[in-house]
Amino acid sequence: MDTRPSEPSRRTVLTTAGLTAALAALPVFKASAAPARPGEVPPPADRHQLWWQAPGDEGSLIEQGLPIGNGRIGALASNDPGRELLLITDATMWTGGLNDTLDQDGQFPYGRSDFGSFTLLAKLTVDIPDHDLGGVNGYRRTLDLAQGLVTSSYVRSGVTYRREMYASRPDDVIVLRFTQSGGGRHTGSITLTGTHGEHPTAAESFGATLPNGLRYGAAVKARGTGGKVTVNGTRIDFAGCKDLTVVITAGTNYAPDADSGFRDPALEPERLARTKVRAAAAESTDALRRTHVADYRALYGRLDLSLGTSTAEQRELDTWERLHARSRDPEPDPELEAAYLQFGRYLMICGSRDSLPVALQGLWLDGNDPDWMGDYHTDINIQMNYWMADRTGLSPCFDAFTDYCVAQLPSWNDLTRRLFNDPRNRYRNSSGKNAGWAVAFSTNPYGGSGWWWHPAGNAWLCTTLWEHYEYTGSREHLKKIYPLLKGACEFWEARLLTITLPGTSKEVLVDDKDWSPEHGPQDAKGITYAQEVVWMLFGNYCTAAAELGRDTDYADTIASLRRKLYLPQVSPTTGWLEEWMSPDNLGETTHRHLSPLINLFPGDRIRPDGSTPADLVAGATALLTARGMESFGWANAWRSLCWARLKNADNAYQLVVNNLRPSVDGSNGTAFNLFDIYEVERGRGIFQIDANFGTPAAMVEMLLYSRPGHIELLPALPDAWAASGHIRGVPARGGFEVDLRWRDGKPTEARIRSVGGRTTTIAYGEVSRTVTLRPGASVTLKDFSR
Amino acid sequence: MRSSPYSVMPARALRALVVLALTAGVTAAVPSARAETTTPPAAPAPVAAKPYMGWTSWTMQSSKYPGLNPKGDYSYLSEANVLKQTDAMAAKLKKYGYEYVNIDAGWWMDWSWKSQYDQYGRQKADPVRFPSGMKAVADRIHAKGLKAGIYLPVGLEKGAYGDGKTPIWNAEGCTTGDIVHADLRTTNGWDSAYKIDFSNPCAQKYIDSQAQMFADWGYDFLKLDGVGPGSFKTGDNYDNVPDVAAWQKAIDTAGRPIHLELSWSLDYGHVADWKKYSNGWRIDTDVECYCNTLVTWENSVDDRWDDAPAWTDHAGPGGWNDLDSLNVGNGEMDGLTKAERQSYATLWAIAKSPLFTGDDITKLDSYGLSLLTNREVIGINQSSAPPAEPVTASDPQQVWAAKNPDGTYTVALFNLADAPASVTANWQALGFKGKASVRDVWNKENLGNRTDKITQALPAHGSRLFTVTPRGTTLAWTAHEAEAGTLSGNASVADCSACSDGRKVGNLYTGGKVTVDDVVVAEAGTYMIKVSYVSGDARSILVSANGGGGTSHKFASTGDWGTVNSVYVPVKLKAGANTVTFDSGTGYAPDIDRIDVPKSL
Repeated sequence: MDTRPSEPSRRTVLTTAGLTAALAALPVFKASAAPARPGEVPPPADRHQLWWQAPGDEGSLIEQGLPIGNGRIGALASNDPGRELLLITDATMWTGGLNDTLDQDGQFPYGRSDFGSFTLLAKLTVDIPDHDLGGVNGYRRTLDLAQGLVTSSYVRSGVTYRREMYASRPDDVIVLRFTQSGGGRHTGSITLTGTHGEHPTAAESFGATLPNGLRYGAAVKARGTGGKVTVNGTRIDFAGCKDLTVVITAGTNYAPDADSGFRDPALEPERLARTKVRAAAAESTDALRRTHVADYRALYGRLDLSLGTSTAEQRELDTWERLHARSRDPEPDPELEAAYLQFGRYLMICGSRDSLPVALQGLWLDGNDPDWMGDYHTDINIQMNYWMADRTGLSPCFDAFTDYCVAQLPSWNDLTRRLFNDPRNRYRNSSGKNAGWAVAFSTNPYGGSGWWWHPAGNAWLCTTLWEHYEYTGSREHLKKIYPLLKGACEFWEARLLTITLPGTSKEVLVDDKDWSPEHGPQDAKGITYAQEVVWMLFGNYCTAAAELGRDTDYADTIASLRRKLYLPQVSPTTGWLEEWMSPDNLGETTHRHLSPLINLFPGDRIRPDGSTPADLVAGATALLTARGMESFGWANAWRSLCWARLKNADNAYQLVVNNLRPSVDGSNGTAFNLFDIYEVERGRGIFQIDANFGTPAAMVEMLLYSRPGHIELLPALPDAWAASGHIRGVPARGGFEVDLRWRDGKPTEARIRSVGGRTTTIAYGEVSRTVTLRPGASVTLKDFSR
Repeated sequence: MRSSPYSVMPARALRALVVLALTAGVTAAVPSARAETTTPPAAPAPVAAKPYMGWTSWTMQSSKYPGLNPKGDYSYLSEANVLKQTDAMAAKLKKYGYEYVNIDAGWWMDWSWKSQYDQYGRQKADPVRFPSGMKAVADRIHAKGLKAGIYLPVGLEKGAYGDGKTPIWNAEGCTTGDIVHADLRTTNGWDSAYKIDFSNPCAQKYIDSQAQMFADWGYDFLKLDGVGPGSFKTGDNYDNVPDVAAWQKAIDTAGRPIHLELSWSLDYGHVADWKKYSNGWRIDTDVECYCNTLVTWENSVDDRWDDAPAWTDHAGPGGWNDLDSLNVGNGEMDGLTKAERQSYATLWAIAKSPLFTGDDITKLDSYGLSLLTNREVIGINQSSAPPAEPVTASDPQQVWAAKNPDGTYTVALFNLADAPASVTANWQALGFKGKASVRDVWNKENLGNRTDKITQALPAHGSRLFTVTPRGTTLAWTAHEAEAGTLSGNASVADCSACSDGRKVGNLYTGGKVTVDDVVVAEAGTYMIKVSYVSGDARSILVSANGGGGTSHKFASTGDWGTVNSVYVPVKLKAGANTVTFDSGTGYAPDIDRIDVPKSL
């Protein structure tokens, strides 16, 4: 750590001057008041328990470790009786920096020291040599989705041992609790270490600084009953303990504030970690657990779901066997499928609160060098991560994404001004004009970008942020994102080219030279993806300006630009919706990305309800059909969402089933721990969390479609779930929440509650009615026969 | 479980019994014999009545572990080291049944591996390695109440040939030139010897002279190495069956029972010969890694799970399938994890391999000692029950079992995967359903009753060993001949004398399939279907029911294309009629003889 005093920089002066802005600069890892301690709540029914009969392999924790997290810190746990291993992360533990240069070919550098990488913070082991897996019986491991608890249990010499762990948001610590019944004892040692070559000096904490100046630290505290807990050099020994509680926390001095260089120089993470574990260890373990479960359930309980009943035989299988059975047998397993959705929600609650948003691997790593840096990819992945949040009742988890974009904006503005029109950037504006902000395909948490510039990335981030407003109606959110929307519009105002459509005299606005994400030519003008998403952005901006009563004139400008935007057509050659403003197929037919279908999903321009020209729907359908049913997890999830929008329940469901296939030797599919595996190359799969979020989003989209002013019930209900089911607490765009029950493929009851929305139509099949509600009021509909 | 009764007393054992009966002048009843002979008299403690237990020098000789071989390769072998291990074995292991101290290759070589012979072309102890001579060493071993083993390569070693004029001991007019072929064709796994021509009576005399020398020295055990077909050799020059026969004949007349063990990777096709003439045969290459530890899991402990099953039926009193040395006692020097050490010991015990360690017995760690001296595990190895064999397919998670004479089962769970996994033993694969009481043998713990199955979490390369006592009911089975099924692709019906009804379905490759129709069961559920098959090498097949997705299972080799074996595979059936399909997929699959399906769960 460089501690030399430095002259006040422009940055520090600005920070001191702008005290109001400093509110946004609070570090992520921060001291907090003692949380409220709730009373005991009876545990919920165990419908959504995942369970396994084997612990995780230390070398394969990304596939076999069970994830915990409090939205800021996370861990993967082995749950091995003889040696518990936790690989601990903090969402802000990133190498790299602003990365404000371009390579000769116009790309941002993309290395672990320049762009940076998400990386591990600490490793904790609890060794109990006598409890070696080879000597215990009846091993079982569960993830209790309803309470947010990972447990493992086993019997050794007639004694039942139980281990429970969770990451508590209120106490900001990870808690491990070792108990037993039958007169057993725990003897062993605890070791907390870094993973970046730190030299261990103490058993109970460590602190260090990354080469980029980010400080980090971790601390552990152990407490036992009936035995001894002693600090012994760089480890903690425990001997003869009936029960043992281990409390860990970790953090960095990251601050989401470009003006302070994304650091809080005053924060000492090791010291703060020590304070936090001391405070938590002073509480009773019951109180810690109660506090965590109440906090977790407050979010988890917002959505309840049943897709039908599984057979007794299916219920008997452990989760891994059950995935195999689902892939092998033709029978649906509705409870497994619902649990998969709830697992996605678990990951969101654990991964996205109060800190940085969930990146490619969410909060979970098994090494310091994740593929693609574990970064934020702006051409589907981060958007897909957040499609699920509102759709499954986890709107509060969305805020991490919003806050990230808001905090990055000053740097994004800065880099755009300095580097977007750089002559090396192949996508620079040929108009020579430059305004607003843009990002590259990859972004980091330091305002930096990696890989190629991605002109339409700003619009896609904005439309995703906008959708959250449509769900929640939150004016506070709208005010937060307004500068992002406006800046993106300014960027496009400067960028769009006016051309005359061949064979007509019609002038239209098109995107400059660009790349349909990761597909086809890198110098195509008017790519469908950009035309569609900018059309969405402009529409959203005009609505935002009107709602906030701001920038009326500028909104008019944008509205007129929007009217002139070229909107893509169907190729007379392929019959597909064009991807490159060309009738020809310039790419791979089964390419993973569905960028030209962005206005089928997540947008709404292409609708199969008669309001969209039939040839456009047919062209979109033909393109989607050509893309096929077999791809990477996230690509299948997007396909499923599109098929749900087209009301093709069979295809939408089949893609969900495809994603549930067990991953074998790195193949695309679902790992032992339910993480989605992306096959990078034959035999090598990596974890990418987007499918774990995108697939649940698709499942919800099959049950409920909404856009402002319109809700459709069961638009694509598959036969597998048709017998009976319910979804309660599902948000709808336009400011409503729906509780829906169905039987024999038809809704039996729908309760619509306003969370700010006023009027909406509710449709099922050909039947539609309009309801008008005051905020907070609800109506129950029962008769869908007409 | 195979249904053939285990009451085989191979002929060679009976012959050994006769020898003993004549020399010792005692008689005893012979267990019922399958048959090649009906000679009645017998004696107690015949050679190899049970898998032998002991120690071999070769494991440490072969290792590059620091300090083991300071005088050059294989230099661990010395009189001092042998006696040190003898003392340690007597002190620590003898009371558990370990008795043979086996001197391996090199006793007649100097530190630079140069051979020495006596005036009759017989191997002569190196005076530096064994300053007291081989007889004195055997005497010292015997003085500890243990047995002594020695070693030879098969054939006439090139160095013993001299110029062909070397006389053969006790064989008037015979010289080394008489006992080999005129073209001096070579033999054995290293081509280090001339092939002996047994058409000349002098040849037997040479073998007799070596056997007599060992008997005179007092050796109780001989490892004959480099034997073919096997030892990575095939062809006439490497057919050492006449050598082995000559050795057995020589031992019979040498006046001292000597256990004859053959090495290495003996050819399965000659198993009848090995059974006839020897007391044990190495089914695989050396277990040692020739690296910085004694062994490693992949090189080549784990081969044995694939290679042992075909040999199972051929082991029995008088002759055993030798999986090679059991190196689980030293901890770090072994080169294995704890879980691997236990699995290693488990397989060796249940497969009834000889239990001889190559560890440094003076340095056993407490875990290693517990593995080598678990009396229940040794009891399983030394009992009169047959060797265990896989009852499931040879997938990464597998179950092996043997039915014991008292009606209990020895059941082992193995996880050969590189990550922890759960493994389930389903009682259906043992022929019954309902409850069974389970004893965890390694952990010396009764686990109580388990209904229908037991599942355990196993570490990577880990194992569990149980004794299962059935308390349920015997299953009733329905047989379905594969050849009565619907064939597609290349599949065709072929004659097969060992198969039920004399036929099987073969040519299951690249899309070949057979579907067995009308598999009727009383209730829906997962059934363990017994699949009888023939496969000269290990092959995989996709098994599915009612047109659903197939699960790939690897079936262990049955040794050749004329032998039938069976394993149980789980298949989900519905109540009433089902179809069960065996699909080669894109590869080559085993031939299918028939399936047996439990009538109900």
